[in-house]
Amino acid sequence: MPTPTVPEFSKSVKLKYVKLGYQYLVNHILTFLLIPVMLSVALQLVHTSPDDLLALWNSLHFNLVHVACSLFLIVYIATFYFLSRPRTIYLVDYACFKPPCSLRVPFAMCLEHARIILSSQPKSVQFQLRILERSGLGEETALPPAIHYLPPEPNMAAAREEAEMVIFSAMDSLLKKTGLKPKDIDILIVNCSLFSPTPSLSAMVVNKYKLRSNIKSFNLAGMGCSAGLISIDLARDLLQVHPNSNAVIVSTEIITPNCYMGNQRSMLLPNCLFRMGGAAILLSNRWSDKRRAKFRLVHVVRTHKGAEDKAYKCVQQEEDPEGHVGISLSINLMAIAAEALKSNITTIGPLVLPASEQLLFLFALLRRKIFKKKTKAYVPDFKQAFEHFCIHAGGRAVIDELQKNLQLSAEHVEASRMTLHRFGNTSSSSLWYEMSYIEAKGRMKRGDRIWQIAFGSGFKCNSAVWKCNRTIKAPIDDGPWVDCIDRYPVYIPDVVKL
Amino acid sequence: MVSESPVHDLKLSSVVPARTTGDDKIHELTNTDLAMKLHYIKALYFFNSDAARGIDIFTLKKPMFYLLDRHVAVSGRIRRRPDDGRPLIKCNDGGVRTVEARCGRTVDEWLATDDRTVDDRLVYSEPLGPDLGFSPLVYVQFTWFKCGGLSVGLSWAHILGDAFSASAIINMWGQIMAGHVPPQPLKVPNTTNNCQFPHSSISQKPFSLKMVDPVGDCWKIANSCEMKSHSFHVTTRTLDRIVSSTSGLNLAAKHQYFRVIMALMWKSLAKIRGESDSKVVTICANNSREGNEIASNTQVIGSVEASFNVGKADISELAKLIDEKAMDETSVIEKFVERESGQSDFVMYGANLTFVNLEEEEIYGLQIQGKRPIFANYTVGGIDEKGVVLVLPGPENGKRGNSGRTVTVIVPKNQIIELKNELKKEWGIF
Repeated sequence: MPTPTVPEFSKSVKLKYVKLGYQYLVNHILTFLLIPVMLSVALQLVHTSPDDLLALWNSLHFNLVHVACSLFLIVYIATFYFLSRPRTIYLVDYACFKPPCSLRVPFAMCLEHARIILSSQPKSVQFQLRILERSGLGEETALPPAIHYLPPEPNMAAAREEAEMVIFSAMDSLLKKTGLKPKDIDILIVNCSLFSPTPSLSAMVVNKYKLRSNIKSFNLAGMGCSAGLISIDLARDLLQVHPNSNAVIVSTEIITPNCYMGNQRSMLLPNCLFRMGGAAILLSNRWSDKRRAKFRLVHVVRTHKGAEDKAYKCVQQEEDPEGHVGISLSINLMAIAAEALKSNITTIGPLVLPASEQLLFLFALLRRKIFKKKTKAYVPDFKQAFEHFCIHAGGRAVIDELQKNLQLSAEHVEASRMTLHRFGNTSSSSLWYEMSYIEAKGRMKRGDRIWQIAFGSGFKCNSAVWKCNRTIKAPIDDGPWVDCIDRYPVYIPDVVKL
Repeated sequence: MVSESPVHDLKLSSVVPARTTGDDKIHELTNTDLAMKLHYIKALYFFNSDAARGIDIFTLKKPMFYLLDRHVAVSGRIRRRPDDGRPLIKCNDGGVRTVEARCGRTVDEWLATDDRTVDDRLVYSEPLGPDLGFSPLVYVQFTWFKCGGLSVGLSWAHILGDAFSASAIINMWGQIMAGHVPPQPLKVPNTTNNCQFPHSSISQKPFSLKMVDPVGDCWKIANSCEMKSHSFHVTTRTLDRIVSSTSGLNLAAKHQYFRVIMALMWKSLAKIRGESDSKVVTICANNSREGNEIASNTQVIGSVEASFNVGKADISELAKLIDEKAMDETSVIEKFVERESGQSDFVMYGANLTFVNLEEEEIYGLQIQGKRPIFANYTVGGIDEKGVVLVLPGPENGKRGNSGRTVTVIVPKNQIIELKNELKKEWGIF
């Protein structure tokens, strides 16, 4: 990289300080306004004598009734204020499913199996090979046992076995980490988009762990990769209504029943990217959990673009002309995702951005509307609002697109890229693998703000904002990254030669 | 006669190393490796229902992932060097093909016949090619029998290693399954030649190797006749009787019956085939004294030429000939292949009548749930017409010294009946 010339360099440094100064001024405007007020009060106090102060005090004519009424009013207002505030939702801890090494799928095996299974369709094999080379996935992602067979055996029993393996493993891990007793679980939400048997997966969890008979259980199916944050939103709303409760959320995607056996190109992509994964999360609104909780939930913003036909149809599960069921991704998926993101940002921006950015955005908007200047829409700098970003690892294109749109650095998207490499696209649970990565790297400090963004069929874009409650020290002793975090970050080439 | 195959419900999958091998690992092939490329070792182990009780496929597969971690070449695939087309193995984690199957018979019913050609159904095997880059080097088949017994069949491309290393590696699998982690193998295979026979002159063409037309990318032998496999169980008592009743025959060491068996098989087959076909034989023996933990072709290949009439000779003369006149051709083969490998391919097993000495190997050392196999057998696939005789330790609880020998013979179909009659009549071997 050519070093900038001295005048340019000094100009950019000057600009940087100007920017910093502006941000500091606007973000702390109230403090700055308060200073002259306090100064003038202090000056007044200095000028008045103690006698004058005493005279002032006596003139206020306090008597018991006044005092009692004022006190009563203050207490009443304070109680009303505290009671009407939404309950704080804490994330006590979470656990991710770590696939055993016996389920790993190296590229060579993927390719060889594809050539055998689709021996009559060499073009499909070539297409899948090209996708795999550019996918950003590594050699340690996992597929369920049924898909390892030649040909795959995706029957219902195998799907249930996979569900049991993933969900019970994550739940066991969560119960161990948090010391939670199954009988203490008040709310249970399980989300799995593509596998929805009867009895439901949430009933499966209730049965396995012998949960209470008055548990509030929910099973969300068909809601796509953003269902994890929908579950968080649902849990938050329930925890507002039920005091002193906790909620366990299980986010997963069961791959077994969704192996596409046809040759439509638009449906082959999920085969190459979706991998086994799952996470279990414990949320609580109990005061006693405040100290040990890892995060506090600040905002959840959900955006649904389903009212537009194009967005509604862009991720569609359907049968191809030969009768094979698969998930078809439309060609304008990225454009629709960008639209949905813009919508979401417009809502979340005012909630999280500091005043300086909001002001800049307002000025840019006014300039465009009033002066009709054809300037690019100002994208607020979200790096000032958040320390960490967890972008759903839906695919390399998604992460690239968001990195570009939000002007994020490589380190900001590192958690997403490395999760895609190590675990593949694990659908709704990928956000939790990314959080786990940031913790494993020792980057999660108290007060850090995290933004989780997920996209899903519908078309939906959901965001959650968390604030870190306590510094999490590395090295961690458990979690999905524990035996490989030292190898990360890895360099992921644009095209892997197979 | 069963109208449908007794072995059914085949399910194929793959087992890969537990950890990523990385992008750049190559296993170079020696000239001896390349000389063996048309041959395939097949091993088969039978376990009764005691050993297989409660075992499911995951218990069997999981240790294999850790085993393949230590032997990454086993999971690799053949590639050719871009400049000269010489084959090598790219350790790309392609994996080992595993097959699960069911058999409608019991283990005892299956073992009731001595015609071991049926074992082909229990050892899934495909020759390498025509898509060399996508052909697994090793296949493992697990077959569950009606009685609850289990058979483990291994098909091992000889280019990867000899029968001695195949046996050691499959035993290691059993150890990992039992929870004993064997120490890491040495990185460098043992190349010092444990001289069993004197060396022959380097510039000669080896007797034990035959040149064939280049096979291109389809690594299998074109057989002109059908080969059949038969196993003879020779008890220790029979062998001792033969030794004591033959004058001039003394065992080199206690219980080393290989020479005796080799001599009498050579004589018997010479009688059946005629003299002209039986003058030269090949011997394969284990080279490494320290164990064969690495997949490699380090076996000793020797050659013996008889100047007299083998069919009429006494076996003590033959035994003496083997002792004194066998020539170690391993280095000759190495040099010869180096010279000729551009133009030609090679056959070793069956080029002459070939004898493989597995009697000292821990064939019955593979254990499942602490139990040894009730019968274990090795054969070689892709051999030429002169046939192969393998001498293995026998069953009977696998106790060394008391177990006798299993002698597996693979010869053309039309010679089997005569051989059986000859062995029964002359030697009391059934």
